[in-house]
Amino acid sequence: MAEPLTGAQILCRALLDEGVDLLFGYPGGAIMPFYHALPEYPGLRHVLVRHEQAAAHAADGYARASGRPGVCVATSGPGATNLVTGIATAHMDNTPLVAITGQVPRAMIGRDAFQETDIIGITQPITKHSRLVEDVAELADAVHEVFAVAREGRPGPVVLDVPKDVQSQKHEYAGRPARGADDAREGLLGVPTPTAVVEAARLIARAERPLVMAGHGVILSGAYGELRELAERTGIPVISTLLGISGFPESHPLHLGMPGMHGEVHVNRAIQQADLIIGVGLRFDDRVTGNLAAFARGAKVIHIELDASEIGKNVPVAVGLVGDARAVLGLLLEAVPRRHCDDWRAEIESFVRPRVESFRGDLSPEGILEELEHETAGRCTVVSDVGQHQMWVAKLFRYQRPNTHITSGGLGTMGFAVPAAMGVALARPGEPVWAISGDGGFQMNMQEIATMVQEGIPVKMAIFNNGYLGMVRQWQQFFHGRRYSATPIWSPDYVRLAEAYGIAGYRVERADQVTGAVRAALAHDGPALVEFLIEQEANVFPMIPPGASLSEPIESEAVSV
Amino acid sequence: MMTPRAVTVLLEDRLITFNRAVGLIRRRNLPVRSIAVGPTVTPGVSRLTIMIHSDEATAERAVQHLQKVVGVREAAAFPARDGVTRELALVKVRARGDRYAELLDVVQLYHASVVDDNPEAAIVELTGSEAFVLSCIRALERFEILEVARSGAVALEAGVGEAARVPANV
Ligand SMILES: Cc1ncc(C[n+]2csc(CCOP(=O)(O)OP(=O)(O)O)c2C)c(N)n1
Repeated sequence: MAEPLTGAQILCRALLDEGVDLLFGYPGGAIMPFYHALPEYPGLRHVLVRHEQAAAHAADGYARASGRPGVCVATSGPGATNLVTGIATAHMDNTPLVAITGQVPRAMIGRDAFQETDIIGITQPITKHSRLVEDVAELADAVHEVFAVAREGRPGPVVLDVPKDVQSQKHEYAGRPARGADDAREGLLGVPTPTAVVEAARLIARAERPLVMAGHGVILSGAYGELRELAERTGIPVISTLLGISGFPESHPLHLGMPGMHGEVHVNRAIQQADLIIGVGLRFDDRVTGNLAAFARGAKVIHIELDASEIGKNVPVAVGLVGDARAVLGLLLEAVPRRHCDDWRAEIESFVRPRVESFRGDLSPEGILEELEHETAGRCTVVSDVGQHQMWVAKLFRYQRPNTHITSGGLGTMGFAVPAAMGVALARPGEPVWAISGDGGFQMNMQEIATMVQEGIPVKMAIFNNGYLGMVRQWQQFFHGRRYSATPIWSPDYVRLAEAYGIAGYRVERADQVTGAVRAALAHDGPALVEFLIEQEANVFPMIPPGASLSEPIESEAVSV
Repeated sequence: MMTPRAVTVLLEDRLITFNRAVGLIRRRNLPVRSIAVGPTVTPGVSRLTIMIHSDEATAERAVQHLQKVVGVREAAAFPARDGVTRELALVKVRARGDRYAELLDVVQLYHASVVDDNPEAAIVELTGSEAFVLSCIRALERFEILEVARSGAVALEAGVGEAARVPANV
């Protein structure tokens, strides 16, 4: 029989057996036995963050960029609760995130012990699964189970809560067990019925104004080739939702753009005129559909989705194809005849308007993003935060390579970009990774610059500084009579902040400084920060007012109240 | 069509699994009328019965969500009229000597029984559909009702339904 190990050692071994080589975490009392064991396993690199929220976001970013589960570690109580926003973010965007938390010793559970919180209870609505390990004998199994659940089917976050005394209990470690429970769960991964595939192919062959709407599922399943082939074989234009961006090359003549609240007018108009929408791996979120009752009234919907409970949840569906986007598209390709959509494409072309985001001043978000794209030759991953800049980053950068746009879509978590970009950078060494934030969101997690310095994580940070919580200010301008309540936001001197952390920092006030600063940041070996002082009251256009339909965009300031 | 429906779930009999299943029902805002849970003949497996008033799509979506919960083995839904729904109630009434005979008449009329007759208060046990149980309780109101405990409904689909085909579905 193998030598008994401590629970903490078993945890490390089980993590290694799951293929983990990177953890983001922060120690504390209830997780100390684990941190005691950690140095014995040099295969597990630990990145010490400055706030547990950042550990969760970094693990999330790592998972999104690598397709493998991201792991974060925290102590009980405040350590665990600091993870919550990151777990919720991963839950809404279906990221395989494994959160490991220390817990007070078993005998103390339920007695309001020092630093005890019921993290399983707190995270229950925002996890796919969670487990409190009640005995060391079940620890290894629990690790393998939560990884399997996080990864399989529609991915999502899991919590593994390990009491301190379980980390010290001794037991043998038998290695990764043969799969049991999760095999049964795989049966839940549906496959579309052959008749549904035939029916979908028939609808696609006959439609006059079809559209493909590609969501996050395209990226999660790696269905890039299949999506492209479907588009090219049928001539059907492709729309990408916020999380679907970079699932389809934007230089492709069939690429249309982003739909929804800040979608382009011609994209939303195409949706409203369409007679068939093929939704691939998305949930028809309200930010995409606008007022549901008035969404694509003339369109039949084919919905390809791994999670059967999503089909028909928001929009009525003519044909539901349950399954992995890549697999289902593969089946569909066998059944769909070659066709073209030239007339329809010409019609959509006639909907196109000149860009309405007429920025004043010469330093425009458009110009900055163009330069970023140019200087990296498009070979970088962009991680955006939440707000106006997020929409500009989504719409104005032209993504050519798969999975190069990463953002918090479902939860819209400010403060996501900087820590998530650390995970992305570690998943993609050698590739430039830009974290683009507003001055609000940047200040939510800028403490992580210290982590980058200590760990040598070369994230390039861009701050779009408009002196406001821009997106909220924009809503105040349009819907609250320009009362800018609590939206002006002061910033420190970011160049001096960079200096204090010992990283490169640049301030850009004019368009002619952009290239120089971007080049310098890219050339700098290690983390670097560039602050762009952009127009204070620039707006994101078009904009569908909340509750309105996709046919009612606000396209300029003139409409504002 | 909006109608009473039973959602039945076979799940691991651990509190966390029960918590997750019920939490999901709460989160998805389902129109719940009653929830009942109890053991099955399979060790380690409980049966959860959730009565809802909804259309078919809502019930089906609830089933799909429940099936995703780790620890849930089976979930199914059917309209209450396609099966048998039963609820048990214990009703404690004050039954003074002078009205005891009257109480027994009511009990007999509803095929109920007196399961405890302490001199101060009697406990009446009754079983039936939700409507039956309600009307019986109403009939007992003429005596002073001290306490009522209702079990919440359990239900089985008639015939060899979808659920009954699963061998472990007991
Ligand atoms: C954690 C969090 N708090 C609040 C919000 C609400 N919110 C959405 S956008 C926004 C403004 C963001 O401002 P900034 O970071 O400066 O970016 P900008 O919109 O100016 O580009 C706010 C406050 C949020 N999404 N997340």
